[in-house]
Amino acid sequence: MISNFPPGLIMIIGALLIPFLPHIIRQIYMMILVLISTYSLTLGFGTHSAINLMGFDFILFQADSLTLPFAIIFHIAAALNVIYGAHEKHWKQHVSIMSYSGAAIAAVHAGDLFTLFIWWEATAFTSVFLILAGNTYRSYKSAFRYILIQVTSGMFLLAGAIVLLINDGSALLTKFDINSLYGQLIFIAFGIKAAFPLLNGWLQDSYPEASEIGTVALSTFTTKLAIFCFAKCFAGTELLIVIGAIMTFYPIFFAVIENDLRRVLTYSLNNQLGFMIVAIGIGTELAINGAVAHAFAHILYKGLLFMGMGAVLYRVGTCKASELGGLFKYMPITAVCTIIGAISISAFPLFSGFVAKSLIMSALGKEGLVLVYFMLLFASAGVLHHSGIKIPFFAFFAHESGIKTKEAPLNMIVAMIIASALCILIGIFPSTFYQILPYEINYQPYDFSHVVGQLQLLTFAAFAFICLWHFKIYPPELNSTVLNSDWVYRKMLPGVLIPLLKLVEKMNQKFEWILRISFTRTKLFLSDTMLKNKVFDREVGSDTLIVVQIFTVFLILIFIGQFFK
Amino acid sequence: MKILIKKFGKINSSVLLLCIIFLVLELIGHRHGETSIEDFTFFPAFFGFLSCIIIFKIGVSLRSFLMKDEDYYDK
Repeated sequence: MISNFPPGLIMIIGALLIPFLPHIIRQIYMMILVLISTYSLTLGFGTHSAINLMGFDFILFQADSLTLPFAIIFHIAAALNVIYGAHEKHWKQHVSIMSYSGAAIAAVHAGDLFTLFIWWEATAFTSVFLILAGNTYRSYKSAFRYILIQVTSGMFLLAGAIVLLINDGSALLTKFDINSLYGQLIFIAFGIKAAFPLLNGWLQDSYPEASEIGTVALSTFTTKLAIFCFAKCFAGTELLIVIGAIMTFYPIFFAVIENDLRRVLTYSLNNQLGFMIVAIGIGTELAINGAVAHAFAHILYKGLLFMGMGAVLYRVGTCKASELGGLFKYMPITAVCTIIGAISISAFPLFSGFVAKSLIMSALGKEGLVLVYFMLLFASAGVLHHSGIKIPFFAFFAHESGIKTKEAPLNMIVAMIIASALCILIGIFPSTFYQILPYEINYQPYDFSHVVGQLQLLTFAAFAFICLWHFKIYPPELNSTVLNSDWVYRKMLPGVLIPLLKLVEKMNQKFEWILRISFTRTKLFLSDTMLKNKVFDREVGSDTLIVVQIFTVFLILIFIGQFFK
Repeated sequence: MKILIKKFGKINSSVLLLCIIFLVLELIGHRHGETSIEDFTFFPAFFGFLSCIIIFKIGVSLRSFLMKDEDYYDK
């Protein structure tokens, strides 16, 4: 029985016990849950568990070469989250993180759309508590917007699943055709979670409002689950190349002007997702390997960067570039780990970003997609600018902020060091890393051209930043809100809809008033006529009036009808 | 050299030094890119430098209409 247990499910069920355990034992218990869950990964590929309910086969546990890398990294991330959050004494966030990680892992192993839908919604409902844990009025409002958007995505998925079931008689999770209705519905569902352009508002809105532990967990699962689903169902869909290229491109500019460093990281997350989406759109074996490798490496370095900023937030209470600076002397280990994350995301040789991104760039070069290639190259310079330099520079160096603090708690440091070590190890031993990818690969990222080209690109981009800063061209960071696509439903729609509703209400009042007046007048007129002409020797009652008015309306309709014959 | 470090700072100067080293490296070996455009000498260096400046320029110009007060949504 236990051998057929879907990975992740044990974490969801086990999470129910967490509130009853004392603080440190709770962390050990959570680690054991993650370890037990990893056991299911040793079972090999194939369908291991399915249940029949109401005549439908729910495939709970299906493993293949694509699920394995995602399952591995999700388990690693879950374990790192347990360590990173060990200082938190209250059980609420731990329950949320454990069940959220479990739901994401279970979703990866779903074999049909309905099982996926259940876990899809489960990730939303378990993770919203992490945003609420931000414990501010802002995070409270943001959490509601977050859950609304996530549930909308789920509804699209469910609609797509139902259409597919009616059409084909099964809802297996396989490759879908984008030209079909169900394909489009599912595409939108995945697209919302993958933060496609203009559907991305929720990401930058909610993640930075979560607690310091919560953001690290959030950054790992939801969006990468969407990437997994795209790789599974829409590999080779050309539309994804266009969408992905736009995704890599436009969050850069927002990241450059954003002041909240955790929000900068969410823009950067969005931009990194673009790289993966482009690779999935290409759909060749090399490209899919690139997308998976990038997702794997990205979870580690992005988690590391969020951990660094989380540690700063935990100690200082803010993550705003305008208020931070000069923290290196107080938090040297956090700073060094954040810099390792920054170097990794910038894709410097010998770090994880380089060995993953090279696969995607090579796939683009091989397919001859020159324009997209240069858009991604431009985005790579952008990543260095906003994540590679801006994050560590404004937090730990830049100007002296006058803040005095101390190093992050030991558990945070341990988690950051492990993540840093993994970033470096992947960068140094790419061939070992490539073995877990879905397709067999014979690729060498470290050739002279790649390394020298990348180093020139990055050092000169860094040099440009240095010149801008040194010659005081770079404007100071300001406390501000940067408008994003969530502006549409946070400002524009209420701005248009509320006056519109008020107008409708006013018109309704006017209409009622006119109706009442006309009713009374008609009644008076009829009474007068009837009494005067002695049709009836009594006053007209309301019932007569209604009958007369309905009759009049019919007469008018019949009269109008004459013209349309 | 000393004047440069004094004027430009230690870290900045070392980045400049790295830039020069990577340019020289290209002259020693033969670098070729994924696309033929990239094969031009020092192409990545120019591309990286210019990209960063362009990103900065566009970012700054976007400030005027994308940047609002901190309590913009709370009003």
